Amino acid sequence: MVLPFELEYRHIYILPTKFGWGFGFMLITMALGGLNFSNNMALMLVFLLATITQLSMFIAHRNLSGLKIDSIKCEPVFCGHIAEFRVYISNGLERNRFAVEAGFTDPEACMDFELNSRKSIQLRYPALTRGWLQMPSFRIQTRFPLGLFRSWSWIFPQTRCLVYPSPAINAPPLPKKGHGEAGAVSKGDGDQIHGLREYQPGDSLHRIAWRASARHDKLYSVEMETPRGKACELDWGLLGGNDVETRLSILTAWVVAADHKQLSYSLVIPGHRVASGSGANHRAKCLELLALFSS
Amino acid sequence: MNSSSKGTPYQLETLWVIGCLCISVFPQLLSMPLSLVAIALLPVGWRLLASFRGLKPVPMPVRVFATALAIAALVSVYGSLMGRRAAVSMLVLMLSLKLLETFSTRDARIVVSLGLFVCATQFLFSQGILMIIYIIICLLSSLIALMYTQRREAYEDLGEVPRTSGSLFTELGFGLRLMVIAFPIGLTLFLLFPRWSSPLWGLPEDTLDARSGLSDSMTPGSIQSLFMDDSPAFRVKFEGDTPQNSELYWRGPVFWDFDGRSWQISYFSHNLFAESKPDAENAPFRYEVQMEPTEQRWLFALDYPALEPRKTDMTMDYQLLSQHPVTQLNTYVMASDPDFMDTPELEQTLLWAAIELPEGFNPRTASLMAEWRSETKSDAAIVQRALTYFNQEQFHYTLNPSLLSKHSVDEFLFDTQEGFCEHYASAFTVMMRMAGIPARVVTGYQGGWFNNIGSYLLVRQSDAHAWSEVWISGSGWTRIDPTAAVAPSRVERGAMDSLEQRRHMFDFEWMRQAKNTFDLFQRGWNNWVVTFGLDQQSRMFSMFGWSFIDSTRLVVAMVLIILLITVVIFMMMPWLLKVRSAQKQDPLLRLWYRFIRKLEKAGFVSNPAMAPMELAAMASGQLEYKGDGIARIAELYLICRYSRESGNRAELTKLINDFSVSR
Repeated sequence: MVLPFELEYRHIYILPTKFGWGFGFMLITMALGGLNFSNNMALMLVFLLATITQLSMFIAHRNLSGLKIDSIKCEPVFCGHIAEFRVYISNGLERNRFAVEAGFTDPEACMDFELNSRKSIQLRYPALTRGWLQMPSFRIQTRFPLGLFRSWSWIFPQTRCLVYPSPAINAPPLPKKGHGEAGAVSKGDGDQIHGLREYQPGDSLHRIAWRASARHDKLYSVEMETPRGKACELDWGLLGGNDVETRLSILTAWVVAADHKQLSYSLVIPGHRVASGSGANHRAKCLELLALFSS
Repeated sequence: MNSSSKGTPYQLETLWVIGCLCISVFPQLLSMPLSLVAIALLPVGWRLLASFRGLKPVPMPVRVFATALAIAALVSVYGSLMGRRAAVSMLVLMLSLKLLETFSTRDARIVVSLGLFVCATQFLFSQGILMIIYIIICLLSSLIALMYTQRREAYEDLGEVPRTSGSLFTELGFGLRLMVIAFPIGLTLFLLFPRWSSPLWGLPEDTLDARSGLSDSMTPGSIQSLFMDDSPAFRVKFEGDTPQNSELYWRGPVFWDFDGRSWQISYFSHNLFAESKPDAENAPFRYEVQMEPTEQRWLFALDYPALEPRKTDMTMDYQLLSQHPVTQLNTYVMASDPDFMDTPELEQTLLWAAIELPEGFNPRTASLMAEWRSETKSDAAIVQRALTYFNQEQFHYTLNPSLLSKHSVDEFLFDTQEGFCEHYASAFTVMMRMAGIPARVVTGYQGGWFNNIGSYLLVRQSDAHAWSEVWISGSGWTRIDPTAAVAPSRVERGAMDSLEQRRHMFDFEWMRQAKNTFDLFQRGWNNWVVTFGLDQQSRMFSMFGWSFIDSTRLVVAMVLIILLITVVIFMMMPWLLKVRSAQKQDPLLRLWYRFIRKLEKAGFVSNPAMAPMELAAMASGQLEYKGDGIARIAELYLICRYSRESGNRAELTKLINDFSVSR
């Protein structure tokens, strides 16, 4: 389905709930009793209840009709984790909606919609294999107002979630050899003390060098640095003797570890090569290659 | 998640379910014995405590034990589990006991639905006009309870249940609107739904506990409570003029057997049927009686009834006995001939039965009567002498007479000399029998209140009366009302006027008048709602020129009318089902939404995430709108929204009202 997608009457199914069937059965019993004893008050009560039941079916349908699925977003996850699909739903100006539930099988989220409002829900689905995870169809349903009827609509999204290979748990240490320029330093936050500089508004109180400040009658902040590590090359070829998935898994663990240590790294797999680099985009690019690798 | 510690939302829903249950069983509780009421209320109390203290559900064995106990109590009170009252009481008790285990959505719904069922069974006992208010309250509380339950169901697994915007009024208003929509459709169904001409299975036959009305025995002093009861016994619509008040003797149970203390029904008077009847064609009084249920078999008619309504027998002493107890409003057509001669020739066995008295009672009366007998020869003269005696001696008509012991007639005639109709009728009949004149006691009603607006006669329980009949050779059984000799106003104007004191603290004339007038509505209700059936349906259709109706035609008409109503309702739906939220109540926001709606109509695709200025810019672009109208409105809206000046509101309203996109 192409988003945004508006729920229309032809997309919405409706059936009585278990309680609805039971309630209907009770109404029939009451109607038979009322007819038999020609008890008109009982009949009137039954007719009113039957009409209200009918109306509640209509309202259940109406509670969904006109809702708009705007978009679905999903961040990549590692294999074995839970993929979280964020579904944005918006309500127009016609009516408030109550207790709208959504979920793949059982309802996982429930919300009310004010007029002209937009809400997002998170649907969770386990990512079990690397590669693209096609978001399964999910259901938007409501049992409002009395719980007698359930109206629902199936949404078949085209959204996919990128599933990275799961990082190997006992991965070998990062390969040491590399070609990066060592010694480059990124100032700012880090874990080694680089020096002192004058305090600027916005500096953390923890960073203030109290002793130095006391000596100079001025506030000084400690400046920190992070040593930029040596560049390393994460090479498919280093992992001979393992099968494909294990290699991918180890490479993934290496990418994660190198990124965590803010090393600059390059990735080499059969058919692809990513030049040395660092940062979130670089990491995403490497991981995507690993996720979609096919021999 | 611990639901009991969650606080208000969970409790609110539980409280509504409990409240709903209490409302549905309330009328039933009023007519249940106190012991059963206590049993029914205990689980309610426990469940309330549980929801506030966070108690755990009662374990299974305790519930089974409680149920067994409740059934045992029911059997000990009602004797069995059969019969209307016992069955409904059982339903009430079981429903109340259900609360002991009502901790889930499913159970809450069962309680609410069965509460509605109990509400319907209530109409087996009463279908009075006030019941419509009861229906409305029951329906509303059930709808609210179901809505809260649904909300809990939807949010239960996801943490706290958010309240709908605002308060109970959201639910209450929604429920009310549901009912407003449902009413016309429900009414159509009611009017056109095909009815059965005869019941498929038996009508309830058991009689109810302590129902007011005349009973099947008469002990002087026993119908005293009836005089306090102003509820209607029956209503009569006469063809032609209403007879004089002194002619309105409504015949009910007739008593032949006296055991010294009370008058009993005799076997033969219930099992021998009238051999001759008045001629219905020439009967001077023709009328229709609409009788409230009595749980007894008697139907009431003026002396002497000429017609036998359906499934009714006329006994040899002209009682109308229905084959089944009257458990529902009963309407019958009747004709009466007061001049009919009842039993010109009295059989020997009946004569014996009519002069039989128990040995050893009332010696003083016996000697007085022996004295009269020796002085007066003719029966008629003795009757006259007795009436004169009542009239001349110091007899009083009062509703609070002294109590009488063994020789009740002696004490009444010579000592206390005070009482009401039962005392006079009983004493007079005993006197006649002692003088050898066949006599019997007749109970029924006397008089009635003529409702001028509805031009019908209302006979209340407080019009209950007792009189005598003596058999005199040549004129048959003749009605003698000794009470009339003592208090003529009783017969001429009614029981209330002959009393010197008020019956109870709230017994005022104007209140009685108001009650009598209000009865007009009850009668209309009875005619149009309670007894509505096949006949009324065909009468209704004949107004439209259809002389003959069948079920198919009814169903077709019903479906067509419902379709029509549905179309109308469908068009009104947005208004009818609008749920007020806090957001909607903000007039400025409403104004802004009206503006967006105008833009959307012109083809603009809005997005709730857009800020006003952004929206204005996009709308101007999309709609190719020239001029700064849209931008101006957005700007004004922002000023109204965020600055303290309020004078711009009027201008904004005007701008938005006048706004139109002309492309």
